[in-house]
Amino acid sequence: MTIGRGVFIFVVVVTLAFFSYNAQRLVRYMRTVGRPDDRSDNPVTRIRNLILIGFGQTKILRDPVAGSLHALVFWGFVVLTIGTGEIIISGLFPGFSYAMILPGPIYALYTLSQELFALLVLAAVTVLLYRRIVVKPARLQGDKVHSGDAILILSMIGALMVSLLSLGAFEFALHPGSGTIFQPISLALSHALTGLPTWGLEAGRATSWWFHALLILIFLNYLPYSKHLHVLTSLPNTYLSNTSGPGVKGAMSYMDLEAEGVEHFGASDVTQLGWKNLLDSYSCTECGRCTAACPAHITGKLLSPRKIMINTRQRLMELAPLATGDFGEFEHPQLSAGEGGDAGDATATAALQNTLLDNYITEEELWACTSCRACVQECPVSIDQLDIINELRRSLVLMESRFPPEIQPAFESMERNGSPWAFNPGDRGKWAEGMDIPTMAEMIERGERPEVLFWVGCMGSFDDRAKKIAVAFARVLQAAHVRFAILGQEEKCNGDPARRMGNEYLYQMLARDNIETLDRYGVETIVTNCPHCFHQIGNEYPQLGGNYEVIHHSTYIEKLLEENRLPLNGEGKQLTVAYHDSCYLGRYNDVYEAPRETLRRSLPMMTLVEPPRTRSKALCCGAGGGRMWMEETVGKRINAERTEELLATGADVLAVACPFCMTMIGDGVKGQDSDVPVYDISEVVAQQLL
Amino acid sequence: MKIAVCIKRVPDMDVRFKIAAIGNAVDEAGLKFDMNDFDSWAVEAALQIKDRDAATEVVIVSLGTDAVQETIRKALAMGADRGVELKTDHIPFDGLAIARALAAELKDGGYDLVLFGKQSADSSNGVVGAMVGELLGLPLVTAISKLEISGQKGSAKREIEGGQEFVEFPLPAVLTIDQGLNIARYPALKGIMAAKKKPLEVKPAQLGAQTVTVTQMELPPERAPGRIIGEGVAAVPELVRLLQTEAKVL
Ligand code: SF4
Ligand code: SF4
Repeated sequence: MTIGRGVFIFVVVVTLAFFSYNAQRLVRYMRTVGRPDDRSDNPVTRIRNLILIGFGQTKILRDPVAGSLHALVFWGFVVLTIGTGEIIISGLFPGFSYAMILPGPIYALYTLSQELFALLVLAAVTVLLYRRIVVKPARLQGDKVHSGDAILILSMIGALMVSLLSLGAFEFALHPGSGTIFQPISLALSHALTGLPTWGLEAGRATSWWFHALLILIFLNYLPYSKHLHVLTSLPNTYLSNTSGPGVKGAMSYMDLEAEGVEHFGASDVTQLGWKNLLDSYSCTECGRCTAACPAHITGKLLSPRKIMINTRQRLMELAPLATGDFGEFEHPQLSAGEGGDAGDATATAALQNTLLDNYITEEELWACTSCRACVQECPVSIDQLDIINELRRSLVLMESRFPPEIQPAFESMERNGSPWAFNPGDRGKWAEGMDIPTMAEMIERGERPEVLFWVGCMGSFDDRAKKIAVAFARVLQAAHVRFAILGQEEKCNGDPARRMGNEYLYQMLARDNIETLDRYGVETIVTNCPHCFHQIGNEYPQLGGNYEVIHHSTYIEKLLEENRLPLNGEGKQLTVAYHDSCYLGRYNDVYEAPRETLRRSLPMMTLVEPPRTRSKALCCGAGGGRMWMEETVGKRINAERTEELLATGADVLAVACPFCMTMIGDGVKGQDSDVPVYDISEVVAQQLL
Repeated sequence: MKIAVCIKRVPDMDVRFKIAAIGNAVDEAGLKFDMNDFDSWAVEAALQIKDRDAATEVVIVSLGTDAVQETIRKALAMGADRGVELKTDHIPFDGLAIARALAAELKDGGYDLVLFGKQSADSSNGVVGAMVGELLGLPLVTAISKLEISGQKGSAKREIEGGQEFVEFPLPAVLTIDQGLNIARYPALKGIMAAKKKPLEVKPAQLGAQTVTVTQMELPPERAPGRIIGEGVAAVPELVRLLQTEAKVL
């Protein structure tokens, strides 16, 4: 055995042992501190996510420039890892090469792939470094992110590529004629080395090899100390994510309020979060895509979803060593750094007394969230920031009754009147008076059954502007001779505002009442013009045993139009229309086309224009997550920001498909002193009825 | 310190009432009931004293049918320690009868403070608190909008017509609470869970003889619908004329 080989074996054993030690520590932190959370469901969707989002890099490519560069580095890594294996094995068993086990053509292809990707990755890394150091894009700043860490990692990757290519070059210069055209870059470089003496070439080759092999081992061991831990965690994280597919997208987690022995509802600290939330926190690359898309952040509120993730990781790193008996061992400095931590006081007592809520994340940040899901949508590694926000809100409300005072009347009214506003529940069906719309009770009494139940929602029932939407949609249904009924007085708020504001207790009370009513009438199919009702009843009531087919009116009207069941009035005018996507319709439920198609079919002469942020990138109107009932005093108003974008398209008409968006955009338009009308898509159709 | 808060279960006022068939009561079908708002501020006032002084016990007393247990539990969920239901088959209109039943319960309880809401949202008599003060022979301060208790002394602010009045009183005392003293806390789920395990005693209410009864109830006359006279400046002369001749307000 040569001394070199002996040294290398020693180095490999030591570095792998150290890496395993750190890796098992991080896994143990996550599993000991976090609550159990079952992620074994829906393997097919999970594998699809892994292939598309993980290996296909679809989400990272949503940012075309940085995304392509990153995807290149990622694919390069996947390909070059195969080569890394060869280099490490050849250190342990000198003379080893894949050529010994691979058929010639495949080996040739392999060498070619190594060379090309090494060059591409080197190029990409150079541009990325330029971006970090010179361009400094806004989203990479703030929240005390670790730019130095990123620069170090990028430089290491660059150095790995250079040493990989130089290794080949020295090899071919030493043994002229051994290179093939499948190693074009090393071969070309080797020509530049031909003049050197043999000992020089040998020293060059040995240096390249040792440099490369050692750097790989250093890199591997640096990861558990760096935000680039995502190199290791992002693929499992994507497979295990709940948000981009498995289960129902965007549904809040089920909560058993009667469970024996549960002492804490929601989460005020990392110990009450699930282990997957903690894995999310390891996986955050601090790229800031979430924060750059966050309507609260964009308009100057304190909330930053990236900070939520960094804080979760910081708090885990503070508490976990104590919780697992590791205190005093190697710190993970990069994983523990960021904005919002408990400054400097690292004593064990302080660490035990701190909580994620208050010491790291403030109430103000949490209440600024509109639950728009833009952060979840943008995160390239499928992190669910919103889940943590929701759990913290639950703890605030369920454990401490701590919330902005202005939402208490909404809670009380939902409890007493079944609607977040203090309207007389007896007046719920009033909007339909004189329209010959039967209630479910009346229809059943006549011995009939409706095809569909029209779920009107509190806005459609009580809000003056939204009542017109209810009327318009009812007229559309009548024009198509759809046999439908409403619940009238028996309908209650679907509970979404309570749930999103953290009041799970009130939510379940309302939801169970509604499920009881719906089941009593044997309702199977529900149409609704409100995306919040649509999402809640369709996607979240199943958690409580309510299973119905729920259709949003955009989809329903589109179908009526497609089947030519609506007698329409000619071509309509030549208009430009800008449609504003509702979060609960779009990002939560992937309904993007139906409302647009409804507009196109009912106004054939119309031109649809899109604001820059549209479809899955659309900016929230500002009403979701219970923000409808809260004051907005910090920064610019979200609805003003969104309305400006919509008006800047120059559209003659703004179209929405949600009564909450109607209020927000309607107010926004008034605030701009503009007279551009805002219509619900059902109103556009109703205006065209013969 | 020991505090009793007397609360009443009342129908939610945001609905349109119907008169029951017997003609002297409202039809309770479909009504939602909750704690009287003034009483919830009284509970809050007691809980704020408790928050400052760990030794305080807050006891909730409510007279009515078993349905009041739900209302008592709400006060317990807010943070009160135990409840007493003074059971009757209905809540009488006669304030004195109610006051006697409450006083009988409170008399030997050793309370330093007995708190009431200023009045109930449904019958609006506003007499029970004052009568209890009288029956117990304790200092009475009504319609309090600011309250301070220190040791065995208290001081309070009362809103009176055209001004404010500041009063001092020794403990024990009976107080009735007005709007503006505080905002009642929202019971957290944690409190709701804890309330299920708190003691709630049921005793027969000692109402005694009732002298006042409701004989008949009527809804207020329907308001005449509004009228749109016209729009803009052109409509002003007609509006002025109608306000003078028809409405006779000018
Ligand atoms: S859900 Fe929307 S508002 Fe909330 S943190 Fe994410 S992006 Fe921001
Ligand atoms: S949560 Fe996702 S999108 Fe946000 S900074 Fe971290 S990795 Fe980027």
